[in-house]
Amino acid sequence: MIEIKNLTKKFRDKIAVDNLSLIVRPGVVTGFLGPNGAGKSTTLKMIIGLINPTQGEVKIDGKNYKDLIRPISKIGALIDGDAVNPKFTAKQHLELIATASGISIGRVEEMLKMVGLDKVKNKQIGEFSLGMKQRLGIATALLGDPKTVILDEPFNGLDVDGIHWLRGLTKELAEQGKSVLVSSHLMSEIQAIAERIVVLAQGKLIADMTMEEMTNKSLSTYMKVNSENNRKFKSLLEKEGALIQSMNDEELHVHKLDMKQIGIIARNNNLAIYELTKIQPSLEELFIELTEGKADYVSNVESKERKGDRQ
Amino acid sequence: MRNLIRSEFKKIFFLKSSRIYILTLIVLSLVLGLIFSLTTNVTQGKAITDLSSMDVLSANMLGVDLANIMLIIFTAISISKEFSTKLINVSLVITPNRKKFFLGKIITFFLLSTAISIIVVILAYLASQLILTVNDMPRVTLQDLAVRQFILGVMTMPIFYAIITVAAVFLFNSGAGAITFSLGVMALPALIKMFSNSIQRTLLPVFPQSAIHSLAGVVKKGSGESLGTIASMCLLLAWIIMTSLAANAKFQKQDI
Ligand SMILES: Nc1ncnc2c1ncn2[C@@H]1O[C@H](COP(=O)(O)OP(=O)(O)O)[C@@H](O)[C@H]1O
Ligand SMILES: [Mg+2]
Repeated sequence: MIEIKNLTKKFRDKIAVDNLSLIVRPGVVTGFLGPNGAGKSTTLKMIIGLINPTQGEVKIDGKNYKDLIRPISKIGALIDGDAVNPKFTAKQHLELIATASGISIGRVEEMLKMVGLDKVKNKQIGEFSLGMKQRLGIATALLGDPKTVILDEPFNGLDVDGIHWLRGLTKELAEQGKSVLVSSHLMSEIQAIAERIVVLAQGKLIADMTMEEMTNKSLSTYMKVNSENNRKFKSLLEKEGALIQSMNDEELHVHKLDMKQIGIIARNNNLAIYELTKIQPSLEELFIELTEGKADYVSNVESKERKGDRQ
Repeated sequence: MRNLIRSEFKKIFFLKSSRIYILTLIVLSLVLGLIFSLTTNVTQGKAITDLSSMDVLSANMLGVDLANIMLIIFTAISISKEFSTKLINVSLVITPNRKKFFLGKIITFFLLSTAISIIVVILAYLASQLILTVNDMPRVTLQDLAVRQFILGVMTMPIFYAIITVAAVFLFNSGAGAITFSLGVMALPALIKMFSNSIQRTLLPVFPQSAIHSLAGVVKKGSGESLGTIASMCLLLAWIIMTSLAANAKFQKQDI
């Protein structure tokens, strides 16, 4: 389990990560979302000790990453697929890491097969496409069979096949009981795999909740209503606490009331309803809405704990 | 630590360019030594047969200076490459303890430079024996204390400079910076020798060259460079410790 407490990183006058606290739990894929420059990479690098925090700390099973006995068995990380010497072959690259951490060469071969690079293992990495480098980076991250897998923008450069493969892989890893933390600036990449979403913007935690919770809580969820007398219906709904955002002759956009409540109000007032539809934004829209700073979605600690227990 | 050093050696020798460079370094230093010892009539204005056997040996050992410079460049470039390619990201995820990582680099390049230094010095020694034999001159012998001291002293040079170059790469965070530093430390004494005697006497003993020359026994008694054996070794160690401490302190704080 990774515990991030009040983590802050300042680069000269720029605050890249701002008082971030969160817990990464095992057995789940956590999506770590935020627009470019949100501070995702900086956070991930602080977890594995590449960047020193200005304030706060990260504990891995209660210890600093730098103090772990066999760090590679605790955390495997893909930070940058390009972080390779292009003159090495894929096999040599993995062999260096295996050697340094006392892992057998057999495991290297196994990983090369798993990420689909065994045919090109003796080619220099310089000849690789970005997608192939990402695959090599994923092999690197998984080499030590770590309990936690951190992947920073792993979908970058992957082709359709690769994306499909990686989605399956992350789910599989979570099923094996590992914590999987996958960052992305695109909700679409994450929504199919993540059970939990953490959203960062301008270094601050904006949302930390299950995917389901997130969708439900969106401010943009509303009921599209059309009735025989929209003008009358509008005032009736408002009396019951609805917030009606847009109205023309054709439809009402009703917030804060659910379908059932709206239906009952209509019946009690003898109004015929022509249309009653729940409109949900796509997660991508929701994500954009979140990161534009329209909403504050941090659920309180207790509800987070409950969620943790359920999972 | 054993695994780390093994991995560091693979990092060096997996690369064809490194293997070729090191081989070239060894061959060139031998050739340069031979050239120096065979062209004494041009460089020193004396025919080889007019020289002492020790002079022939030391002419051959001039090749070690070239090996030293090439090794400084090699050390600086191979370590700074790890930073510039960002491979350091991956290395530090595996070995997050930076003190250990830094020490691993120091030990690796200590072992590498020791091996290269021994090879280069032995080749220079054998070459001088060959030249002495061909010219019907008395051969030098390792039973001679002066010869032994000379050879060991020369041998320390590439090892010492390789180690401070490792530290310098971390300290300056740049290969070029490290090369400038190490070559500067090497070359400054020559510059200082152009100044007055009193300046020489205060400055020269601070530089590692005086220690290396003293260890090799090639210093004229009473010159500014003259140091005792213990003092020489302490001076070299002090350089290594100071640069390493500074480099390690810098590296600990550095964001990668
Ligand atoms: N080494 C650095 N020096 C100065 N600013 C940095 C450095 N690294 C990142 N930043 C800044 O910190 C912010 C967060 O960057 P980053 O963590 O890379 O965001 P993300 O990965 O979410 O795109 C950005 O504004 C970036 O410019
Ligand atoms: Mg990033």
